[in-house]
Amino acid sequence: MSRKYDSGALSLSRRQLLKAAGLTLGAAAAGFSPFTSAQSPHRTLNILSWPGHADPFAVAEFEKLHNCTVVAREYVGGEAMLGLINQAPPGMFDVVMADAEYVDMLRMGGFIDKLNPDDYPIADFFPEFQHFEGHWDGDDLYSVMLRFGYIGMAYRTDVFSPEEVTSYTALWSDKAKGRLGMFDWYLPTMGCLSLRQGNRPPFDIGGAQFDLLKKSLNSLAPQVSGFYSMSNLFSMLSNGTAAIIPGIGDWVVNLLQKDGVPVAAVVPEEGGLQWTESLSIVSSSRNKDLAKAFIQYMTSPEGQIRTARLPAYVASIPNRKGWELLNERHPEDARMLGLTLDGPNVMDDYAKGKIFLRKLPVQQEIDQWNDVWTAFKSA
Amino acid sequence: MNPAKPRPNLWLYGYVGVIFAFVFTPIITTVVFAFDVNRYPSLPMGGLTLDWFRQVLADASLSRGVRTSLSVALCSAVVATALGFAGAYVDYRYRFLGKNLYLALLTLPPLVPVVILGLAMLTFQSRIGLAGSVQGLIVGHIVLCAPFALALIRMRLASLDPDIEAAAWNLGATQLSTLRSVILPFCLPTILACLFLTAAVSFDEFMIAWFVGGTNETLPVRVLAMLQGQVSPRINAVGTLVFGLSIALVLISQLFNPGRRGRTQN
Amino acid sequence: MNSRTVIPVTTGDAVVPTGHAAPRRTRRRARGARFALGLALPPLVWQLAFFIGPLLVLVAMTFWSVKMFRLTPDLALGNWTHLLSSSFFWDAYLYTFWVAALSAVLASVLALPVSYALARKVSPRLQRLAILLLIVTFFTSYPVRTYAWQIVFSPSGILNSLLALIGVEPILILNTTSATVVGFLTLTMPLVILIQTFAIASVDQRLIEAAYNLGCSHGRTLFTVLFPSARIGLILAGTFAFVLSFGDYISPALLGGSRPPTLSILLTDQVKSGNHWPRAAVVAVTMILTLLTVVLGMLALAYRKKGAAA
Repeated sequence: MSRKYDSGALSLSRRQLLKAAGLTLGAAAAGFSPFTSAQSPHRTLNILSWPGHADPFAVAEFEKLHNCTVVAREYVGGEAMLGLINQAPPGMFDVVMADAEYVDMLRMGGFIDKLNPDDYPIADFFPEFQHFEGHWDGDDLYSVMLRFGYIGMAYRTDVFSPEEVTSYTALWSDKAKGRLGMFDWYLPTMGCLSLRQGNRPPFDIGGAQFDLLKKSLNSLAPQVSGFYSMSNLFSMLSNGTAAIIPGIGDWVVNLLQKDGVPVAAVVPEEGGLQWTESLSIVSSSRNKDLAKAFIQYMTSPEGQIRTARLPAYVASIPNRKGWELLNERHPEDARMLGLTLDGPNVMDDYAKGKIFLRKLPVQQEIDQWNDVWTAFKSA
Repeated sequence: MNPAKPRPNLWLYGYVGVIFAFVFTPIITTVVFAFDVNRYPSLPMGGLTLDWFRQVLADASLSRGVRTSLSVALCSAVVATALGFAGAYVDYRYRFLGKNLYLALLTLPPLVPVVILGLAMLTFQSRIGLAGSVQGLIVGHIVLCAPFALALIRMRLASLDPDIEAAAWNLGATQLSTLRSVILPFCLPTILACLFLTAAVSFDEFMIAWFVGGTNETLPVRVLAMLQGQVSPRINAVGTLVFGLSIALVLISQLFNPGRRGRTQN
Repeated sequence: MNSRTVIPVTTGDAVVPTGHAAPRRTRRRARGARFALGLALPPLVWQLAFFIGPLLVLVAMTFWSVKMFRLTPDLALGNWTHLLSSSFFWDAYLYTFWVAALSAVLASVLALPVSYALARKVSPRLQRLAILLLIVTFFTSYPVRTYAWQIVFSPSGILNSLLALIGVEPILILNTTSATVVGFLTLTMPLVILIQTFAIASVDQRLIEAAYNLGCSHGRTLFTVLFPSARIGLILAGTFAFVLSFGDYISPALLGGSRPPTLSILLTDQVKSGNHWPRAAVVAVTMILTLLTVVLGMLALAYRKKGAAA
């Protein structure tokens, strides 16, 4: 038996304890109410994607239809995506959004399922996109194209006139000194510079051309203002720190223009790249039916018009019926996005042969290109 | 004290004000621009709106983040405080061979950069199958938070008259009951403060959570993702709300630890 | 000074009255040992399992290899040779070191007058308020605060608007080392001020009085008695600032534009661009070794010889 040691501290703390409990409960009651979700989801669909694709703007309808919640783990850059899916325990992801050039690696790594083409509205796509490179292995479909866009240069219209940016050489101009922004991902930027050297296609280059590319990249070092994350691309162009950025395109510019920022995108005469985002079902998923439904929804006209106008970054869409629906419901946006069915639209650049698919390096390892980029960052 | 009459020292106070202004500028900026209409904030402000707050409160990913953060913080706080208490008591009472090494082990984590801690925990936990789970996240946060609890409780114990424990034993109390009825009540205010402090540390921690969390994104991880992917004044709104919550937590913790800081004697 | 009074008591010794037999003492001792271990082991085991364990795995991982984004245990020196022979690694290393050192020194020097004022000049109420305010900043999301600096420093942001009011040219500070340093100061200043305040406030008042009694002027007392007596705390604060700045990822990336990259950026880049955990581990181990050396060196400096203080 022990006598309780009676000190002032003891009685004090009992009072304080009660006060604390009351305060905590009060705070909890007050603090928790705004944070309860509106619906109790029956299932969760986990997707691995670029930023912004689980935005309610795009998925709210789907969530309501299927009584689920879409949760996105976001990445920037294909290698980050591969890294994440390689280290993820089975069942963590249901759908993976990959850039077309990475689908092969996913397939070879055994991460994605073969798909049945009849399940998806591929027949409604523009003919150019129906048997699109990277999505098929022979006659087997592994990934469905969701959205695409072009890459060239983005620039501030209050610094550069359209005539000054008809070629990638603008990156070396005096106006760009200290105001050349860089998207911190090696693939699109190095691809554009490769195009400037006249390499067509730009990612299949031999040793000599690769050395020239390295030299060309490093010669830009004095011009660079900084290496930017995806969000910094928007803010740095917007606040004027960056006056010109290669390796990006309309997907950044359109949103800024909507907010009145004086920017524009251009595909220079040397050519531009096409980026393509596509959806696949992850093999270890435990919700494959829901995953399939998600892909079906996002590639259907309803999903397409939403993903085209995604708040994070806009895009062009491959589904022709989606174009029609967009022009019907949001003609202003269709015009802004260049997705009008009459008059010039995004397919024209394609037809002119100026657009090359962004691909992974063919004759070198990814690591070699990546190392060049890392060294360039310290240059 | 001072042989000469002390001058009002306006320069010194002014300097203190300048430094505090520097420290608080980002916080004030965050709060002010949470109300700016422009999506890419700059001066002059576009106009006032509560839209960003509305969007934040309606954003499912953010409310998920808050829930994850709260549950992680709660579990981490309890275990970290318990472990910290144990370590502090051992330090207070015992002397043994290797004690310095023992203490170093217990207090080292805050000195290791969080990028490294995050990477190490990720690689380790993926080998043992914990990676990407909430449990792994809690484990990581406990490692980081326990040293804070240990330091705080150790300071409190330093002001405990050593004779009191000996007196209790002399009167026949066992060690366990002495711990329960002497040490614990004495430390209770500090323990409660530790609970809040460790909860706050866990709540605000973003780097380990980014590496280890997987799809269980805590609020700071979500904010980090937004900062890198999709910047907008929603971040300011989140920051403002978190700031308010943090002030509340710290004030509550201060209720339980009067006189802990800022006095030379205790 | 608050000194730790550790009682070298093991159960059963001072407490047992004379005349009792040895068995009771050994039983008490066994219970005592169990009690002690019961308290001492859990934290130790936890730290070994979840802190030391991961760090050991990290060191081992520096010898592994990555093939096609898949990690394979190995015993290769490739990662070390690749990184240690790359100029970009050493550039990043030197840059990270000197920027961290600069920030630590700046933070310490800038904070010192504030800590002095808070410790010795302001009223107790104001002191508590100031300290509370500083504690609050710890929990206000450092990444969000960095983003706020982006807003302040943007070319048409608050800073340049204010400068324009007084007719000064706009300063473009984003994506420069200066911006990174501002970020580091944001991270470290509150902690540095708090530690310094605590150190200065803990200096024995009698020493100061003795100095005055012996005829020292105010300023001379400050620099020859007060600050040296608080030396341990001051050095500790600076070391903390260095450690935090050395390992920080957010400021160099968001404010400095990753230009030039620091070691933390190198580390995360390796992880993001192809799962190169082994290479990232090499960077991490190098950072740990550096920090360990600096901290041990600083501790030796701090506790080397006690100046005027006891």
